[in-house]
Amino acid sequence: MPTASVNLRDVGRTFGATRALADVDLELKPGVTGLLGPNGAGKTTLLRLLATALSASQGQVRVLGLNPEIPAERTGIRRQLGYQPQEVGFPRGFTAFAFVDYIALLKEWTEPAARHAEVRRVLELVGLSDLSAKRIRAMSGGQRRRLTLAQALLGSPSVLILDEPTTGVDPEQRVTLRTVLAEIARTSIVVLSTHQTEDVAALCERVIVLDRGLVRYDGLVTDLVAQAAGRVWLADEPDPAASVSWRTGTGRYRNVGARAQDGVEHVEPSLEDAYLLLRGGAAQDEPAEEVAS
Amino acid sequence: MTGWHLDDDALRRYVGRTDSLAEGVSAEQHLLSCEPCRARVNAAVSVIELSVVDLAAVWNRTRDAIEVPRPSVFERLLRAAGLPAHDARLVAVASAFRGVWLTGAAAILAFAALAAAIGHARGMWLFLAVAPIVPCLVVASSYDPWMDPALEPELVTPYPALRLILLRTIAVLALALPAVLLFGLVIPGEAPFAWLLPAVGFVAVVLAASTWVSPLRAAIAVSSAWLALVSLLATRPGSPDAVIQGRAQAGFLVLAAASFVIFLLRRRQLRQLRPWG
Repeated sequence: MPTASVNLRDVGRTFGATRALADVDLELKPGVTGLLGPNGAGKTTLLRLLATALSASQGQVRVLGLNPEIPAERTGIRRQLGYQPQEVGFPRGFTAFAFVDYIALLKEWTEPAARHAEVRRVLELVGLSDLSAKRIRAMSGGQRRRLTLAQALLGSPSVLILDEPTTGVDPEQRVTLRTVLAEIARTSIVVLSTHQTEDVAALCERVIVLDRGLVRYDGLVTDLVAQAAGRVWLADEPDPAASVSWRTGTGRYRNVGARAQDGVEHVEPSLEDAYLLLRGGAAQDEPAEEVAS
Repeated sequence: MTGWHLDDDALRRYVGRTDSLAEGVSAEQHLLSCEPCRARVNAAVSVIELSVVDLAAVWNRTRDAIEVPRPSVFERLLRAAGLPAHDARLVAVASAFRGVWLTGAAAILAFAALAAAIGHARGMWLFLAVAPIVPCLVVASSYDPWMDPALEPELVTPYPALRLILLRTIAVLALALPAVLLFGLVIPGEAPFAWLLPAVGFVAVVLAASTWVSPLRAAIAVSSAWLALVSLLATRPGSPDAVIQGRAQAGFLVLAAASFVIFLLRRRQLRQLRPWG
């Protein structure tokens, strides 16, 4: 049996004159792939393309060997897809159970007993089974986030697309969710976009860094971190040679710089250091690039 | 084979896996050669499994009673009308059925109809302005991303977006059109069904236009255009009849048919609908 995969070849997407994605070539296999990048880098656009919520302006997208531009094949993809958008609204007056039950109906779970059992299973997975009868409007932001993850897990999808799944979720629940996702990724393709580098470091074997619609890095997390070896050091003051410096909890400054320094106190780099280094220290948000006319 | 058999306690411990290793090995050895004891084990296992199933069923029914939402009156009506239970639920979820829109629309229609019925000079024009656009506004609200914020996860499920939107449209029309007809009955000198074709035509225009822009924007544009036309005609001498009578009816029929064809041809663009987009 061939391994499930997602393939993108020379994929681009524009919105009017704005280029959101360009020249993206990817092949995704079972496992967790993390997407990192500043706001406006094209992460959500890429996820929406994979989730069949959006068409590519150019290039070829194949999900599990199926073409999302062909209606019958798109439906085939959607039968094996779980998608957690960045922002989800909820129908008024719904409880957690009612919302997931509603999405389960759309996912063709028409037999009530099996559907209810599946809804309970996914609510259990995200730690919301005790709150199933609670109205969504009375839930916290983190609980709502977990609820949107629950609907994505319905039917144990082969492809799971998650846009910032842990935003607003408390640390304990984040660890639980990582365990759940790691288990799912043994057989499924999981792609998650996040601003939390610790989630990527803890969960992902592979990371893709997007910047202004372009893939800046695609490879192992460990390789990206290794690129920062010898380029992170502590000092009592911000080092002018560093691309970025910040004061840590100990009162000393953590410096990340493109050139390895001599005679300084080097420390083990983190994924965040490596990411900042890759971006040249430009941690501020940048707008999407205009298409050259 | 000896005359020794597993006693009831030993059998219960064996089936319940609470026996010791030595006791279990001894029981296994005996069961290999003793048909009557094997039969007793089978019977004991069946009883245990049955009780587990029953408990699970009871537990599930209890949880259903707490967790599963009770169908609304509208959903029960849809089921009574023959719609399958799952389709009825999908239709009923549309935020338009939360009552606010329909109640507001009914109130506006009632006001306009009353004004026309008591012979107010502008009443007839008011009803003419409002009645045809109420259904298209309500339809748009049933699947506009702003009104249905769960739309993005809905549209990437295998359930056909076209079917979902048409189901909601038909359900809304089933509620809104009778209201238009009912209030049309009190308008002096007008055939109540005269309002139907413009209303259906505008709904079809909104469906077609929503493959380019958001449904609510489309409905607001259509409504504004209609209100502007009626306002313009109201300043001229003559009866408002001409706007919806005679050749105008044929025009609305053509408009509805053409718009529906465009909607079907461009239905793939519906998946580009996105809340906050």
